[in-house]
Amino acid sequence: MQEGELVERAKRGDLDCFNQLVEAYQRRVYNLCLRMLSNPHDAEDTTQAAFISAFRGLGKFRGGSFRAWLFRIAANACRDELRLRLRRPAASLDAIPLDLEVDRRALSPEDYAASQELGRAIGAALAALPADQRLAVILRDIMGLEYAEIGQATASSLGTVKSRISRGRERLRDLLRGYMELSP
Amino acid sequence: MFRKKSECQQLRGMLSPYIDGELSSPEKARVERHIEGCDACRRELEMLRGTVGLLQRAPVVAAPRSFTIAATAPRRRPVAWGALRAATAVAVLVLAFVFIGDALDLLGTGPVEDKSLRQELAATETPVPEPAGGLLGEGDANGDDVLAAEDGAGTRSLRNVELGLAGVVVVLGGATAVVWLRLRREQGGAAEATVEERRDTGR
Repeated sequence: MQEGELVERAKRGDLDCFNQLVEAYQRRVYNLCLRMLSNPHDAEDTTQAAFISAFRGLGKFRGGSFRAWLFRIAANACRDELRLRLRRPAASLDAIPLDLEVDRRALSPEDYAASQELGRAIGAALAALPADQRLAVILRDIMGLEYAEIGQATASSLGTVKSRISRGRERLRDLLRGYMELSP
Repeated sequence: MFRKKSECQQLRGMLSPYIDGELSSPEKARVERHIEGCDACRRELEMLRGTVGLLQRAPVVAAPRSFTIAATAPRRRPVAWGALRAATAVAVLVLAFVFIGDALDLLGTGPVEDKSLRQELAATETPVPEPAGGLLGEGDANGDDVLAAEDGAGTRSLRNVELGLAGVVVVLGGATAVVWLRLRREQGGAAEATVEERRDTGR
């Protein structure tokens, strides 16, 4: 079944169809939350909250890019979580170091270790960005959204999207300078 | 004193959209013309490309579990919510119609305030004795009494209708507000319905 049909059926309350959408997007939504929050437990909770919110708010989806709409809900759930952390700063100290999962069988031990290190470095560099720049860069360079979709997902103008991505990448360029040889 | 930005400074912000193919043709041509003759901007472009390449190589993490929603999870807004809102809207419209109709005397009973005032005045006025044998005058006086009595009854019933409708609106509106608050609380502020627009910092 095509995504559009699944969305329409889910809008009419078909939970099975909605769960097919969840299965199609859960990895991407979880990775978005993980990159935004840098904490697997918070990312897990936020991902679940985002899907429940999406199901409840599905009647408000008026067409366009479903993934951009879904990422917007996830991004807002992350923003709420980050706002909560500001209110209770001790919670952010509980962040668990990321242990990124990659397919060990497909990589040599050296490549696997390098991938782990790169993943951690990227996570740390992203965490150093302001949240709006971080979100724009994640949506563009990790999730692969077009600028127009990012505008929809962040409720921002195209100019703002360009500016955030540009500034975010400039900052990341400095933070990841030592890893450039790993770039293809 | 304002200093005009150099060509390099102006173009730096265009390098990222250039990499992503998000520039218009004239902008793209401008960037390409510039980087042909500017080593610093060409290096900057390559560094940004390298950064993008790194980010695209970021390992993707498998979802730790399934996030599918169980059938027992709270469903979307119940049908009663829609019916309640519709009933409130209808009640408000009817009330508005009755009020406006009353004010403009479209319902044939005259404005409530005017009728009441007229009745009060009629009650305090001393009746003027009619000349004997004045058939037409007597008849008119009797007709006025009947009309005044009918008007008074119509006004009272209309006022009762208005009060009743206002009560219905208050009850339905209150119930709608309670259900809305409960739904809002259930959604925990995360649903798109309650998501406030992102603040555009314009940075």
